[in-house]
Amino acid sequence: MPELSITELSKDLRAAIANLEATVGLESVGVVVRVGDGVAWIHGLRDAGYGEVLQIETKTGTVEAFALNLMEDEIGAVLLGTDAEVSAGNTVRLKGTALQVPVGPELLGRVVDPLGRPLDGAGPIKTKQFGLVEREAIGVMDRKSVHEPLMTGIMAIDAMFPIGRGQRELIIGDRQTGKTALTIDTMINQARQKTGVVNVYVAIGQKLSKVARLVDRLKEEGVMDQTIVVATSPSDPASLLYLAPYAATAMGEYFRDNKQHALMIYDDLTKHAVAYRQMSLLLRRPPGREAYPGDVFYLHSRLLERSAKLSDKLGGGSLTALPIIETQAGDISAYIPTNVISITDGQIFLETDLFYQGIRPAISAGLSVSRVGGAAQTKAVKSVSGNLKLGLSQFRELASFAQFGSDLDEATKSQIDRGRRLTELLKQPQYQPAGIWEQVASIYAVTNGLFDKVAPSHIKDAQTALLTRLWAEHKDAMRTLNDGDKPTDAQIKAIESVANHVSIGFEDK
Amino acid sequence: MPARLSRRKVTEYIADQLIAGTRHDDVIRQLAAYLIDTRRTNELELIVRDIEYALSERGVVLAHVTSAFDLTETTKAAVRDMIANHTNAETIYQKQLVDPDVIGGIRIDIPSRSFDSTIAHRLNTLMNYKK
Repeated sequence: MPELSITELSKDLRAAIANLEATVGLESVGVVVRVGDGVAWIHGLRDAGYGEVLQIETKTGTVEAFALNLMEDEIGAVLLGTDAEVSAGNTVRLKGTALQVPVGPELLGRVVDPLGRPLDGAGPIKTKQFGLVEREAIGVMDRKSVHEPLMTGIMAIDAMFPIGRGQRELIIGDRQTGKTALTIDTMINQARQKTGVVNVYVAIGQKLSKVARLVDRLKEEGVMDQTIVVATSPSDPASLLYLAPYAATAMGEYFRDNKQHALMIYDDLTKHAVAYRQMSLLLRRPPGREAYPGDVFYLHSRLLERSAKLSDKLGGGSLTALPIIETQAGDISAYIPTNVISITDGQIFLETDLFYQGIRPAISAGLSVSRVGGAAQTKAVKSVSGNLKLGLSQFRELASFAQFGSDLDEATKSQIDRGRRLTELLKQPQYQPAGIWEQVASIYAVTNGLFDKVAPSHIKDAQTALLTRLWAEHKDAMRTLNDGDKPTDAQIKAIESVANHVSIGFEDK
Repeated sequence: MPARLSRRKVTEYIADQLIAGTRHDDVIRQLAAYLIDTRRTNELELIVRDIEYALSERGVVLAHVTSAFDLTETTKAAVRDMIANHTNAETIYQKQLVDPDVIGGIRIDIPSRSFDSTIAHRLNTLMNYKK
């Protein structure tokens, strides 16, 4: 049993009494008219604001709610706890504040719920500051164009669809296609490359077992120290699922506004839209397409607009967003996917077919795009990736066409061969993000024909051998290359000479 | 079919009638008939509250004063002054309730606002403070 601190107790009691003295006055009150399904209908409180926190006095204590429907005769409020204790006739008071969550570096390494309450059993979190859950996005003049790279460590992404700090890049695909895996690797890469980027992972209605596995993995990889996990499970009230991404963004914004860089991962916004639909239907808002309310676009646009690269005047911090959307049978033209596609600055589309062909990450070169990341791509990777995306897209089309006949001209055959090698090269095991020099050396070797004699099935072995030898023989050159500048002639020569040597051992017989 | 009138509109009409000096019996009969006709009798309690609110906006305040013991005339006058200061009411009706459960202090309920300095409320707030 922890030692009871009398001084602490006395201090707390004095603060509570001072707080009581301060609040005694003529307060606005309302009364609960009816309650059910996590929604309370309140009479009175005519001066309540949209999104304002309400306190419902029950027999056993106070339950908080926030006002979402301000109607002529009553208020619809969504409860932040269970509705079991709330009953008709309960008195409701205004808390006088909009919803806030604790923010600050004290949250790093912790697993919290959307109200900032710890879920990891590691004791209370004593932050000094609070951030507004709903906050207006930064204005035009306070922003700067995206220009710094956010390396994911995934070759296919960094080479073909580069992501910049402050960008919003959607990760979209069917279930079990590796969407979360991509984001985990990105988080791991931030720790391995020591980028200093803080990760904020938001689990929206995810199974707690999955969240626990994720946290264990992040701890194992040494990433948890620079990560905040905001977790909600399917058993939580819809209100908490709805709040999770906004609360987590408030936590991420703290770092953005303090000249740091943060990465938000929203896993996933499909479940978020479903939770909002549930709340809206219970609040008797008119349903629209697929029964979603009319403002479901605004739900996500106002969230993702908070991700930004700040101007130098504001410290140059950034908040990058990787929202995840789960599609049904690869249908990216459904309501929520099209909404989020149009909001974000590009998407990485993961295909089930590719996943089951063993091409992992199963990134579709044709349907994926990064609209602003090109300006943020490291010079090193840019110099070797050139028309990688075009080549790969053409190969996938040609490969399916070539299945019908074998009479192909030499140019087409060589394009297909190169494509096969590239496809093999871009396969990457989970939890193994690659550094800049590894990406540059590998891509250079394949795109410049140094591995043309290597059988496609041996490309990964040849790549491993190439990287091992380069690190052993040219460590300093590779370290410099890892800084991201365009490779020098000496570095290129080193890669060419080692690749030529290595390829001999893996020749296609 | 006529559009459903909001409670606010109904109660503002009733309050205006009462202030204008229409006979109470007539107003009440009219309201009862309207509620039965529109099948809104279940809103009765809320309508009464809204009428109280509408009246308070027109300078007539009905205050429920709860305390553990009977109030002295001096205290009642002080309560009246306090309400007048906070609401700019011209007419104040006080209803005195004695409830030993409040332990001590006083609670004043006026339409949509409340002043609660009872010991019971303070203890309850203190109990929730560190929850």
